[in-house]
Amino acid sequence: MTDTPQTDGPMTDAIDARGLKVHFQTAAGLVRAVDGVDLTVRRGAFHGIVGESGCGKTTLARALIGLQSATVGQVSIFGRDRADWAKADRKGFARAVQFIFQDPLGSMSRRQTVGQTLEEPLQIHGIGDNKARRARVQELLDLVALPETVLDRLPRSLSGGQRQRVSIARALALSPQLLICDEPLSALDVSVRAQIVNLFARLQAQLGLTIVIVAHDLAIVREVCSSVTVMYLGRVAEEGEAKAVFSDPAHPYSQALLSAVPSPNPVTEATRPRILLAGDPPSPRNPPPGCRFSSRCPVVEPRCREAEPVLRPVAHGGAAACHLADADAHAMI
Amino acid sequence: MKNWPWAILAPAFIFVLIGIFSPWLMTHDPAAQDYAALLEGPGWAHWLGTDYLGRDMFSRIIGGARTSLVAMVFVLVAALAIGVVIGSFAGYVGGKTELVLISVIDIALALPSLVIALALMGVFSGANFDWMSDYWKMIVALTMAWWANYARMSRAVVVAELQQPYIEAARVMGASHIWIFTRHILPHVLGLVVVYASADAGALVLAIATLSFLGLGVAPPTPEWGQMLVDGMSYIEENAALVIIPGLALTAVVVSFNLLGEAFALQKVPRAVRGRLLSRKKAARAAEEVARKVVEA
Repeated sequence: MTDTPQTDGPMTDAIDARGLKVHFQTAAGLVRAVDGVDLTVRRGAFHGIVGESGCGKTTLARALIGLQSATVGQVSIFGRDRADWAKADRKGFARAVQFIFQDPLGSMSRRQTVGQTLEEPLQIHGIGDNKARRARVQELLDLVALPETVLDRLPRSLSGGQRQRVSIARALALSPQLLICDEPLSALDVSVRAQIVNLFARLQAQLGLTIVIVAHDLAIVREVCSSVTVMYLGRVAEEGEAKAVFSDPAHPYSQALLSAVPSPNPVTEATRPRILLAGDPPSPRNPPPGCRFSSRCPVVEPRCREAEPVLRPVAHGGAAACHLADADAHAMI
Repeated sequence: MKNWPWAILAPAFIFVLIGIFSPWLMTHDPAAQDYAALLEGPGWAHWLGTDYLGRDMFSRIIGGARTSLVAMVFVLVAALAIGVVIGSFAGYVGGKTELVLISVIDIALALPSLVIALALMGVFSGANFDWMSDYWKMIVALTMAWWANYARMSRAVVVAELQQPYIEAARVMGASHIWIFTRHILPHVLGLVVVYASADAGALVLAIATLSFLGLGVAPPTPEWGQMLVDGMSYIEENAALVIIPGLALTAVVVSFNLLGEAFALQKVPRAVRGRLLSRKKAARAAEEVARKVVEA
């Protein structure tokens, strides 16, 4: 546990999670969805959390905002303990931190028009009178580049991209400082993804937001994120500045993950080396002993199966949890 | 319903209209006795004839419509309110509270509502309840017998809606429980419950008539269809209209309300519930289909 200052000063990190664990009790046994994650997101960062399906990234995002209660661990947001803050000042917390769901349609009431959906957060927080609220809704539409004509439509009559824009606009209605997005792109067509990604980048530049985005599309994370966390089986495999991690990944898992990203250049695409990992990720009910990646790692050594590596600084300035990676060198596969 | 003419719904609307405007529609005082005209058939002086005390049947049918309508509205509103409150509370709060409330609801549902109403009328006949008129006893008894269905439905809707991601989204926006319930969940609950109530109204009119038929409901001077049936039975050989007319009125209203509920259901109720409401009809249609194919073959 670190000693986090209980102030909302400009120097505190946007997110500081320590020893976060989220375990689910299921009929088949204990699922360790998130199993001891430390995460720091600086203010103004565009932070990506990546990893394959089932690695716990969505659970982590939900635990950060409190949609999922943590089994163990503590989350500080802007220097304040999240649980205490949300309990003492539910609305204040909501004004500071907002969440964007993976499924925009499900996250909106099917009975409310887009206008009502966008107005709802303003009503909950008693912001402005009718006229002021309508003006704010108009502003939000402009922000996410939606035409005024969508206001009277129901969410289900919108296209996927429009729905996601509405859900982004709703999250922005309260002018939050921190936006946590759970796979905001995975429900969208590739062509629409680019629009939404650009929208995120533009909003961040315009509004000075801190954005945390959970994604499995690495190409997009590489494009827009300033920092990145790579997760594997409920733990952080590697973290650091996005550019550094993507250009010189230290963890074998990151290397494998990045080698799966297609290149837009057909020549490089045809010749680039690929690392194929054998098998599926192990079940989070029953992680392998030692390093969690040891069961699939191409450069595994005997010590990997015995001791679990801790995050330590590596050459690119970030950190990786690999016995073969330290500040001087790391394994290449 | 698609194949039925909309006119089939007319009795329900006529019933409501007559109930509302009955004082202006009655040609005679429904309680006035005329010993010069006992058990008369339909005619100019008494359009639908007279009963064994010489009371005007037309006025009594119309007065009975108001009695039924008022009692029905009281019971429906009270049962709906109690059911929605208890059911929604159980569904929203969950845990042990829910378990206890569900048990109560299940017990209430396990007994036929008419049996509960009869038992309560028996309890209410004790001296402790003399302060209540028979009319109010009947309304309270029927309400206690009727709320459980609404509670069960309300709870089901609340539980289903609470699992929707948009409820989580509202939480993230900082909405209070009261906001989430009134703004997002209650409309769904009422949407379903009101539709069900429209079909239930007919059953309730029948239950009111049944209690009166058994001599437990509305006290004699007030005109009531069930009572008219029981009074008329003794004179069925002299004047069959005494039984046929209230019987027809009752049948028309019950059928008509059922169809009204079905009409709502087809357009408003979620498919899963709609399926249950119409399962019998669907089964009949499927049987027809099979029969037709067999004939063709």
